[in-house]
Amino acid sequence: MTDFNVNLRQVKNVSIIDLRGYLDAHTAPELENIFNKLLEQKKFRVVVNFNDLNYISSAGLGVFMAYIEIMRQNNGDIKFTNLKENVYNIFDLLGFPLLYEFYKDEQEAINKFITQENS
Amino acid sequence: MQNLDNYAALRNLAALVDFSNLINSTLDINFALNNILLTCLGKFHTSKGLIALLDENMFFQVKAYKGVQKEVIDNFPKVSLEDFSTNERLKEFIEKNNFEVLEIIKSTGGIKGILLLGKRLINKSYEENDISFLKTILNIGATAIENSLIVEKLKKTNRELDSKINQLKSLFELSKEFSGIIQPDAIGKLLAFTLMGQLFTSKYAIIVCDKNNFYFLENSFDEALLNLALKECNVNNFVKPISVEEIALTYKSLFDVGVELIIPMQIKTETKGLILLGKRNNNLSYSNTDIEFIYSLGSMAIISIENAKLFKEMLEKQRMEKDLETARNIQNNLLPKFIPELSNLSLAAYNNSAKIVGGDYYDLIKLDNDNLLIAIADVSGKGVPAALLMANLQAFLKSICKQMLPLNEATNIINDLVVENTTMGSFITFFWCIFNDSTKELTYVNAGHNPPMLIRNNVIYKLKKGGMVLGFLPTSVPYISETIKLQKGDVIILYTDGITEAMNKNFEEYTDERFEQLVLNNSLYEPNTILEQIRKSVEEFINGAEQSDDITCIVMKVK
Repeated sequence: MTDFNVNLRQVKNVSIIDLRGYLDAHTAPELENIFNKLLEQKKFRVVVNFNDLNYISSAGLGVFMAYIEIMRQNNGDIKFTNLKENVYNIFDLLGFPLLYEFYKDEQEAINKFITQENS
Repeated sequence: MQNLDNYAALRNLAALVDFSNLINSTLDINFALNNILLTCLGKFHTSKGLIALLDENMFFQVKAYKGVQKEVIDNFPKVSLEDFSTNERLKEFIEKNNFEVLEIIKSTGGIKGILLLGKRLINKSYEENDISFLKTILNIGATAIENSLIVEKLKKTNRELDSKINQLKSLFELSKEFSGIIQPDAIGKLLAFTLMGQLFTSKYAIIVCDKNNFYFLENSFDEALLNLALKECNVNNFVKPISVEEIALTYKSLFDVGVELIIPMQIKTETKGLILLGKRNNNLSYSNTDIEFIYSLGSMAIISIENAKLFKEMLEKQRMEKDLETARNIQNNLLPKFIPELSNLSLAAYNNSAKIVGGDYYDLIKLDNDNLLIAIADVSGKGVPAALLMANLQAFLKSICKQMLPLNEATNIINDLVVENTTMGSFITFFWCIFNDSTKELTYVNAGHNPPMLIRNNVIYKLKKGGMVLGFLPTSVPYISETIKLQKGDVIILYTDGITEAMNKNFEEYTDERFEQLVLNNSLYEPNTILEQIRKSVEEFINGAEQSDDITCIVMKVK
């Protein structure tokens, strides 16, 4: 049994996904389900909080690639916060900072959505 | 004056020591270059300068500049290590932008780059001692530059190594994951996620090839267009990774859909699937390392996909075998379970199917106290269709014999029923007869079946009267019957061509002649014994070859 947990909560009109444990090929479908649920509910503003995530593999990263375009097409985005250094390194290694916004803490990312909305 | 000179030399020396300490305190290349430039600008009172370093291909690239517009730097000519001292365009560049000094940056490892400095603002030109001071600065600087370049290279190598480790981790993780999945769809999805994450692309297709048919496991290209483009392709041409240049040249329609890389998924050397990838979101092209990674990933995935397919096929086969087993049970239940007892006739019967379900049929039905109906049939074809037709025939037979019609008329009706209930080309050879136990009369109709043999006084008579096989055409010419008065000791043998056409390993047939001779030799025995002899003889003849057709035989003897 792989130790992975994903939780969804709402802060104003931003959806927060909390990840915990190991996100790999085995557990990626769970995260995929969450994104599908968000699409169904037409929630396109997503902040992913990596605070409790210890490991991510390519298959895990792939899930974010699979949903970024559709979120942005709907004036939303996927923003990343609270990454541990080893997790961020994997994102960095594969060039993700080019395409995604990374923040130190969740509130920063939420604020970014709100200022974008107001502008 | 002397003191003043000494003082200046001392000041220069102190500046050099400071510079040396500063520049060697860091391994950051930009910091080093910046400081060399700033030191020169300050020392020689000029407002501009640039440093160009040799790149991997031995061309000079501007790495740092001060007091010059970026547009000027963009026009820095392409100069190599070989020709920089004679290059006309470099000379032009120097003159046009008012550079006055060109000095080589050289360390123990050779030339590292060049430094250009502008005119001095104090209306003095560079004097000999200025140039020698500059050389000293650059000598110190060169070592620092070399060190930081090495560190830079190390960092790059480390990053490449990290990237390789990351790819290996992915491969390892997926190999574990793939081996546990038995649905091709799930494998495709996992493969897609990994490709997207690892290669930073969101355009991909994972295709399974079966001969020249393409099935999409996953696809984010325009499906209709991709399908159209693939129609022009032969899967056998995809035996190695195909780069974007070749796609643009040879597979124009795939290129137009957005395909920038084609990687075959192979088992041994056969291409069983394709991975198509589009543009990467970081605008990089696919490196050889990437291609190797995708290829390994694809090879792993396709084996799992094939395994999943085989597993599914095996399940289906098992299910089918179970169905056949059921069919066989039903069929066995259609055959008579016991031999009726008569006062003037003894009987023995045998049936053995070549396949799990067969096309032979026989029946023994007591019509009343005196009359016994005996039927034998061979349904064309084998397996389930034959078994179904045979079940039909049995149903017709059971219901029609209740009506006590004359045998020939009943045959007319059965033929019409079979015609109505069979598809083109199916037919039944059929023989049936009624034996009257008190009169010993035998009435029969033969509808195209191998003529049964009546053996009387060591002579064989064949029972041929009747008509066409059942099921070809609706009855137009009525069937005819014949009635024979049997005598004590008469033997009648009904059989299917599985006996006479039984084949040995040399593809030789058992033949009618051999069968007739055997029957004549054994006609004095009781039916059970005769039947046993027939079975033994056929078995000895085929001598271990696979039984090719169903075998059915009924032996009767008049008491």
